[in-house]
Amino acid sequence: MNPPILLEAERVRACYGSREIIRSADLYLREGELVALLGLNGSGKTTLLRSLCGLHRLSGGRCRVRGIDCAALREKARARLICYMPQRSGAVYSIRTEEVALMGCNPRLPLFGMPGEGDRKRVRSIFEQLSIAHLWGSDFLHLSEGQKQLVILARAIVQDAPAMLLDEPDSALDFVNRHLVFTQIRSVVQGGGRCGLVTMHDPNFALAYCDRILFLQNGSICGEVEVARASRSGLQTALSQLYGNVEVLEYAGGYAVVKS
Amino acid sequence: MMPGTATHSKDLLCFLAVLALVGTAFLVSLCVGAYPIPLTELIGLVSGKAVNPTARSVFFTLRLPRTFMAAAAGFGLSLSGSVFQTVFRNPLASPDLIGVASGASMGAAYAIVFWGGGMAAVSMSAFAGGMLAAVLLLGLVGLSRRRGMATFVLAGIVLNTLAQAAVMTVKFLADPERQLSTIEFWTMGSFSNVTAGKVRAILPILLAGTLGLYLLRRQTTLLSLDEDESRMLGVRTTLVRYGVLLCATLLVSGIVCVSGLIGFVGLIAPHIGRMLLKRNNFDTAVFSGLVGAALLLAADCLARTCSAGELPVSILTSALGAPFLAYLLIRKGDTI
Repeated sequence: MNPPILLEAERVRACYGSREIIRSADLYLREGELVALLGLNGSGKTTLLRSLCGLHRLSGGRCRVRGIDCAALREKARARLICYMPQRSGAVYSIRTEEVALMGCNPRLPLFGMPGEGDRKRVRSIFEQLSIAHLWGSDFLHLSEGQKQLVILARAIVQDAPAMLLDEPDSALDFVNRHLVFTQIRSVVQGGGRCGLVTMHDPNFALAYCDRILFLQNGSICGEVEVARASRSGLQTALSQLYGNVEVLEYAGGYAVVKS
Repeated sequence: MMPGTATHSKDLLCFLAVLALVGTAFLVSLCVGAYPIPLTELIGLVSGKAVNPTARSVFFTLRLPRTFMAAAAGFGLSLSGSVFQTVFRNPLASPDLIGVASGASMGAAYAIVFWGGGMAAVSMSAFAGGMLAAVLLLGLVGLSRRRGMATFVLAGIVLNTLAQAAVMTVKFLADPERQLSTIEFWTMGSFSNVTAGKVRAILPILLAGTLGLYLLRRQTTLLSLDEDESRMLGVRTTLVRYGVLLCATLLVSGIVCVSGLIGFVGLIAPHIGRMLLKRNNFDTAVFSGLVGAALLLAADCLARTCSAGELPVSILTSALGAPFLAYLLIRKGDTI
């Protein structure tokens, strides 16, 4: 039996002014699933993600997490259902890593409340889970981009929302750190009770770390592959539709994509 | 060893050092002035022994309120300056640069000329002026659709200019004999007219503003992230920003209505705070407040002693502040 659907978007439509960016997008995420959203620049990836988050007003359709329509919710209630990982965090002042991660407690705290000792213990164990315990107490601004994203991932885990939406979390990272961060994201999503939708540019990373890939073109989802069940030729057809001539190679039990 | 213990004790040392500085400056400020009160006499006054009645009168009606006010003003301006810099995500934001202070002084000038210049009217009008500037600032930034750092500074310049135009208009209409000089006193800042009554009247405002900023301290830190990021963490950014701004404006307007405009303290002290503590949270804001208190106490002591008459305190804070800004400009370092 399939795991339950945690996030379900139906006929999502989004506009900037009179310009329609997302025409009609339907998608769902099951528990434990990490799904990639691939598309060229300007295809509407970020707009779709922001619309699902509630950061961009929907012009039509709806997005439900655990059956709850998110558009009707205030920021705080929504933050208990959806967490978001930006390309990079906007912190501009020195702040300790654990304080950044503790910000994830906000949706569960009263307006004037402060995180307690229990929350700090939880953050500590999450830091250990992500192998960043040594970063406890360091200045967030002095970390490498990869370390920063792991701290932001820790914050998302603290937030403990069923739907994780990630906006090109690897865009500022080097090759090694991209693998490191995606490995951790994948294990967090598979850890139970969560699903993840991640926008990215590199199809190789999508093939290596995601369960399904959605292809976005001209504001609608034009294709979908389930990585484990896809054949080489099926992948080649789907990817060529988006990227033009590409070659899918079998490599070490998986697939690799090269532009031909 | 817990990581962070070493920095924790270093923070404590910084706090103790600045508290000692504030204490010393407070004592010196109680002693110096046109009528000097020696330390021995001060001890007599505090312990309630019989001393010279002139010294007693000077101490309780002028010196103590003035010293307290200078310390509270330094603390409040720097605390709110630190909060402004955090929520605007801009190390150059301060109550005077973004128009709140000049909005408040516009309100005060208006009350001096058109409402008879009573203490209550001036305070309320100053508060309304400051708040109006803050609301207009947010409105202007909202209209511009740009969320970058420069937007707030540019909007602040617009509001500052507008408020100055309003102040000039009021000045033009003012009675040159009395009202004009009262307005001039406002724009240069001084603690020479502070009385115990004025301090008592504004103390609740200052406490309310400080309490509000204390309660909103965690939300303030959340606002230092990107707009999207803080919203996705469950912050109703516009509402919280208004709340924080209301409290900070309450504090600044409360101070400004007694002391007049005091430049640069609210800008510099938070920088010193962040440089020393190497982080930015509410502890840093409080630390910056203490730094500001020490700075303003020292400036007020100089204002009383370095010339025959009283020097407006803004002359000293600006003369101190500009070189410090120049230092921030040229020093080697990655972050401001």
